[in-house]
Amino acid sequence: MRALVFTSRNIKELLRNPLSYLFCLGMPLVMLIVMTLINASIPKPEIPADAKLFNISLAEAAETTKVFNIEMLTPAIAIFGLTFIMLFSCIAVSSDRTSDFLTRLYASPMKSTDFIIGYTLPFAIIAAVQIVITFIAGEIISLIVKGESFNIGYMLLSLPLFIPAVILFIGIGIFFGTLLNEKAAPGVCSAVITAAAILGGIWMDIDTMGDAWVAVCSCLPFYHSVKAARCALAGDFGGMIVPLMITAAFAAVIFAASALIFAHKSKADK
Amino acid sequence: MNKAIVLKGITKKFGTKTAVDHIDLEVSEGEIFGLLGVNGAGKTTTIRMLTGLSLPTEGEAKVLGLDLRSDIDKIKLLVNISTQETAIAGNLTVEENLKFIAGIYGVSNEDLKERLEDIYDSLELGEVRDQRSKTLSGGWQRRLSIAMALITGPKLIFLDEPTLGLDVLARRELWRFVKKLKGKVTIVLTTHYLDEVEALCDTIAVMAKGHVLAVGTADELKKSVNKDTLEDAFVEIVGGEKK
Repeated sequence: MRALVFTSRNIKELLRNPLSYLFCLGMPLVMLIVMTLINASIPKPEIPADAKLFNISLAEAAETTKVFNIEMLTPAIAIFGLTFIMLFSCIAVSSDRTSDFLTRLYASPMKSTDFIIGYTLPFAIIAAVQIVITFIAGEIISLIVKGESFNIGYMLLSLPLFIPAVILFIGIGIFFGTLLNEKAAPGVCSAVITAAAILGGIWMDIDTMGDAWVAVCSCLPFYHSVKAARCALAGDFGGMIVPLMITAAFAAVIFAASALIFAHKSKADK
Repeated sequence: MNKAIVLKGITKKFGTKTAVDHIDLEVSEGEIFGLLGVNGAGKTTTIRMLTGLSLPTEGEAKVLGLDLRSDIDKIKLLVNISTQETAIAGNLTVEENLKFIAGIYGVSNEDLKERLEDIYDSLELGEVRDQRSKTLSGGWQRRLSIAMALITGPKLIFLDEPTLGLDVLARRELWRFVKKLKGKVTIVLTTHYLDEVEALCDTIAVMAKGHVLAVGTADELKKSVNKDTLEDAFVEIVGGEKK
C-alpha cells in the first residue's frame, strides 16, 4: 500500500515535468524520423553490387547501413529511449536524496522495498508507453517509406520481451541515483547514454565491425538488449533467446545491486 | 506528568568522533522542549536517533513509552519530523503533499478529512491548497513541511531548525503556529536562535559538543548563572564548556 502511495507521487512528479515528455516520449520519435530521413538521403547508385569503393563492395556497404532501415531502427530506438528512462529515474532518486524529502520518508514507516517499488513502477509504466509509441511511429514510417507494414504478430509478441531491458535501465538509474548527487547524476547518465548508443549498436551494425569490437560490446548489456529487440520484431525467436537471456541476467544483477545499495545508503549511518 | 521521551546515557559515535556523548534527558508530554546549541552541538544527531534515522551507539531511550531499539516501527507511526531543509514534493500541490504523507502513514479517509480541515484552519494553508508547493515562498513551504508532519496525527513531533533561513516576519508567523500546537502534541524543537526558544519553549536543554550542559526553563537557566538575559546565560553556560 505504501509502495503504491509512493508510486502515485512519483508518477505525478514525472508527468508534471515537461522535460520528461520531451526526452522520454519526444526524443525517440525525433530520432526515428531523423534517422529515416538520413537513410532516405543516402544515394543508391545504379551500379553492380560487386563494384568496389574504397575496397568495400556495395553489398558490404549496404550491410553496414541496414541498421537505418525502419525495421532495424525501430526496436533499437525503443531500447535507446529506455536510456532516457534511466536518466529520469536517476534524477528522481538523486534529487529526493539531495533534498531532505527522503529523510522525511526514512523517518516514516516506509521500508526499502516500498521505495524500490515506488521508484520502479512509474518509470516502467512510462517505458511501456514509450515503447508502444515508438513501435506505432515505426509502423507509420514503414508504411509511408516502404509501403510495408511490420508483422503485427511479431510486434505484439516483442512488447513483453522488452521487460528485461526496462528493468535493466531503471536499475541503472536507481543505482547511479543512489550513489550520486543531483549535480553529478545527469553527467554520468549522459556517459551511459552515449555508451549504450555506441556499444549497443543502435546507429551501427556491431557484427560487421570485427571480432574484437563485438567482444568488447558483448561485455555490456546494451548490445544484447538491442540484438534481442531486433530479433523479436523480425520474428527470429531462435536468435533472440541468447541475447534476451543475457539482458535478463544483467537486469537481475544490476537491479538487485541497486536495491541493495539503496537499502544500504538509507541505513548508512546507523 | 507522563514522559514522552526518556534518554539515559545516549551516545552516538561516527568512527572516532563522538557527536552525542552520554546525554540524559526527559521530555514531558504536551510541552515544547527546545534543544539549544551552536552548530555541531549534537542537536540534529539527537533528533535523528529519536526518529529512527540513526541508531544510538550506546545508552537507553524510551519514546512514548516504547524502546527506541526494539519498537522503532511502532514509534515511527506515532512520531513525525519536519527536517532542517524544507522536505516537500515540489510538483505536488499543497493538498497532494498532505494526502501523500497521510497515505504513507495509513491515515483513514475520515481522519484525513478532519485533519485537513484542522490544518487548513490552524496553519492557514487552505488558500494555497491547490497550489504547486514549489511555487510557494520559503515561509509557506516551511509551514507546509510542518503541516506534513502534523497530518499523520503524531503524539510527538520534531522540528529541526524550523525557522532557519526565514525572514523576520516569516519566523514570527511560524512561531505563532507552533504556539497554537502547545498542549495538543509534544514538540521537540532544535534551534540556535535564543529568542526562538525563549518565545516558544517550556523547557530548554543547552547542548555543546555533544553534551547537555544545562536543562530548565529560560528563567531557571538565567538564574543558574546569575544573568539577566538568555543570551548572556547561554554564553556563560557554553563558554564554561569551552574552557
